Amino acid sequence: MASNSSSKLPRRWHLFDIAERNAAALWPKTMHRYSGYLLLVPAILLVFVLVLGLVYIGGYSLHELDLATYRLKETFSLTNYSAALTSTTYQSVVLRSIGASILVTFFTLLLAFPYAYLMVRARQAATKKFLLISLFLPFFIGQIVRAYGWLIILGQEGLINTLFAGLGLPAMDLIYNYPAVILGLVQYMLPFAVLLLAPAITAIGRDVELASESLGANWMRTFLHVVLPMAKPGLVGSSVVVFTLTLTDFAMPEILGGGTTDFIANAIYDGFFQLSNSGLGSALAMILVTLGTAFVVILFFLAGTGTLGFNGREQ
Amino acid sequence: MKNKPLESLTMDRRDFLKTSAVVAGSVALGPSIALAEQKKPKEIIVRAWGGSWGEALKTGVADGFTQATGIKVRLDFTEDNEIKPKIWAAVDQGRIPPIHVNWDTTTNATISALRGVTVDLSDLSNLKGLLPLAKPVGMEGYPLVNTYAYVYVCAYRPEAFPDGPPQSWNVLLDPKFKGRVALYDDGIGFNPIAVIAGGGSLKDIPGNMEPGYAFYKKLKANKPLLGEDADFTTWFQKGEIDLACTISVNARAAKQSGIDVAWTVPKEGCKVDTDGLWVPKGLPANEEYWAKEFVNFALTKEAQKKWCSLLGLPPVYPGIEPPADLAGDVSYPTKPEDFAKLVRVPSKVLVENQPKWFAKFNEIFQG
Amino acid sequence: MIGSRSKGVVLWTIVWFDLLLLSLPTLIIIGASFTSGDIVQFPPEGFSLKWYSKLWLLDDFKSAFLRTLYVSIICTLVSIPAGTLAAIGLARYRIRFHTTIQVYLLLPFTIPLVASGLGMMIFFGEIRILGQLWPVGLALCIINLPFMIWAVSAAVNGLDDQLENAAANCGAPPLQAFFTVTLPGVMPGVITGALLMFILAFNEFLVSLFLTDARTVTLPVSIYNSIRSVITPDLAAVSVVYIVIAFIAVLLLDKLVGLELFLKSK
Repeated sequence: MASNSSSKLPRRWHLFDIAERNAAALWPKTMHRYSGYLLLVPAILLVFVLVLGLVYIGGYSLHELDLATYRLKETFSLTNYSAALTSTTYQSVVLRSIGASILVTFFTLLLAFPYAYLMVRARQAATKKFLLISLFLPFFIGQIVRAYGWLIILGQEGLINTLFAGLGLPAMDLIYNYPAVILGLVQYMLPFAVLLLAPAITAIGRDVELASESLGANWMRTFLHVVLPMAKPGLVGSSVVVFTLTLTDFAMPEILGGGTTDFIANAIYDGFFQLSNSGLGSALAMILVTLGTAFVVILFFLAGTGTLGFNGREQ
Repeated sequence: MKNKPLESLTMDRRDFLKTSAVVAGSVALGPSIALAEQKKPKEIIVRAWGGSWGEALKTGVADGFTQATGIKVRLDFTEDNEIKPKIWAAVDQGRIPPIHVNWDTTTNATISALRGVTVDLSDLSNLKGLLPLAKPVGMEGYPLVNTYAYVYVCAYRPEAFPDGPPQSWNVLLDPKFKGRVALYDDGIGFNPIAVIAGGGSLKDIPGNMEPGYAFYKKLKANKPLLGEDADFTTWFQKGEIDLACTISVNARAAKQSGIDVAWTVPKEGCKVDTDGLWVPKGLPANEEYWAKEFVNFALTKEAQKKWCSLLGLPPVYPGIEPPADLAGDVSYPTKPEDFAKLVRVPSKVLVENQPKWFAKFNEIFQG
Repeated sequence: MIGSRSKGVVLWTIVWFDLLLLSLPTLIIIGASFTSGDIVQFPPEGFSLKWYSKLWLLDDFKSAFLRTLYVSIICTLVSIPAGTLAAIGLARYRIRFHTTIQVYLLLPFTIPLVASGLGMMIFFGEIRILGQLWPVGLALCIINLPFMIWAVSAAVNGLDDQLENAAANCGAPPLQAFFTVTLPGVMPGVITGALLMFILAFNEFLVSLFLTDARTVTLPVSIYNSIRSVITPDLAAVSVVYIVIAFIAVLLLDKLVGLELFLKSK
């Protein structure tokens, strides 16, 4: 054993020396000021695939579908954009998506804030752990499985209607409507929101709250005037994430919406695959990208990146 | 039927040249094709509709094919509209298409054929002697082969109609049935009928669809359920609807599970159409060969009889007796006078206009 | 707890509602999977394991499961070096256009998934790799990469950079300093990120829907396809597989780095 490890260590050093020499040959000292950029190359290349994809979508969106051949025409035109922007169907789809994003963001934050607060402030380690596990478990279960769960709960012969029948109440249409989609989305977004709020609440010292309360403010006022404003980075971060994820969601309206509560992503999907019109679908996708980006940029401009930045120093 | 007999009997010059080129080609490729024939793929992927439709294909065709060849058949339930652009992109980009055989509506199949992504099936040995219905209309050769006809019937719960079957499609607008009527979610099978029910005539299609759209706007107030094949069966089973425009197969499936469901052809008529099978271009030679063999197998008397009687639809193989429960039924047209009661929209009109009708339907019901 | 009794009552009422909301679908699916009946209903018709035993006989399920595993592993393996290096690069080096690069690396989050999925479908199609399985893994890595960078960034920012300076001052050459000082220091972040990447890839649905077909279908897509036709209890059994895997991942994460890590202020 002893001899083994003693021979191993020098060998490791030796290997390091070789690696070090090769590295120095490939990346001489004069280049060291660029080392940071070198480290970023793989990630930048990966993300570049998305940029290329967007370029393709942008290209497609500028060609109209030729119904005689079902191919996109060679000539450039803005027909798809004008078709998408003037259609009342797409207008109501866009408004429905934005409306849902506002509703879901509001309800999610309302539900998430107390959760994050109690989790951060919990005195007992066991309580903290319980809340953490209850949060992470659904977080690690994808949208499809959770939507399936809601189907079993809300369906015509689901849990709630069975309970109703037991109480002598008539069965209700709880599924395939707008409220079902909102419910599914709020449940899906809750863990995201809590996890983005928690660090911001941690950053607020207990002493600040104590101080406020010792000055005579009741807990409601302390909450509204001290805790909430100080948690702004978390509120910004979670709002951005919940709002944009809802705005662009596909699965919940598709599974819980029953075909009559389409969001923009569903309309894009249908453009590509139901209508076989990749031009129109691409134009809708570009509109969605623009909407989402505009929202993020405006919010960041007004309130900073919040808990979203990679770099903690910015806050 | 709009089949022009002349078209199928005479071979024009272009056809002749094409055929001889194919013959020459296959002579040149002779040995390699023979080799390819022997190499069986592990499985064949056939796109199908789910529910009772998929069951019928499995029992009626796929199981027999597996037994005869040893090749497994996997049914892929990707939606028909969704597989279309995926196949197109694969063929355009020279990739292997995602499926071997597509079970498709004749309209969608024709669109794919016009797009040039289908393999010619003219050399299938079992095409001989089939009813004229099998031949796709207005195209050279067999880029697809039709396998049966079907009717979008007016299906209803007799309990809700004590005075006998509904006489007119206008009953869909009756407030008595608010929230208890159903259509396909793109209006397929009803779009031309709506024009007639809305006061127009067959001649208005496709030039003037307005009477149909006006009918839809009134229908929207009656809150119809919108779904796909399997939904209709479920809705009838759960007693959620009284009336639907659906393919007879779905109503019959509900009836076979013990639910009291009947169907009729109202005075405005019902749309009759066909489904078919086709093979996408771009498969490896041996897989294409066995995909075509699958289609050929589906056209044998045995497979046609089993598959179509399970569906309850008239096959393209002549002389097959209808299942006992469907003899003389409106949903099982065989004779010219049966077809006379039904509405058959020419394939060309459907190909050029159906996507627009779907879009308009969506606009009315989603807007 | 700071504050009055009413505060506790109000907050805990909301939190109990949250807990119900969060756990109900999971609990219901577990319940439904053990039914001995042929349809999903309440109360379940007796207890049996028959849907689980059926699952193992389904070749389609097994191959979809293995494919999902394969793409998740590819996603994780690619993201570890790419995300770790990027996080270190951003935190430890002077980078011009620092903010621009940050915004750029957040693109996977700001571009809607439906657009990312379609774009990659078109691009992968154009370069003729659509229809294979590995590009799906790569795509899942790309759309979730910010999670990996985040996780490692948090660890780098928590690391005292004096340590690396000390190593360098003691004459440690750059690679050695990196592998013996920096990397072990950020290891908790790498582990957290890798776990997140794996579990997110394992669950990813929308982008996979665009990039897979009948030959390469993964589990989330095949569950979605089944939901669209007939809902049978075997689907509940498949979903329980997901719940079990999520549970294992949560325990692992807690064991390796501690869930409390996520409460730390940055």
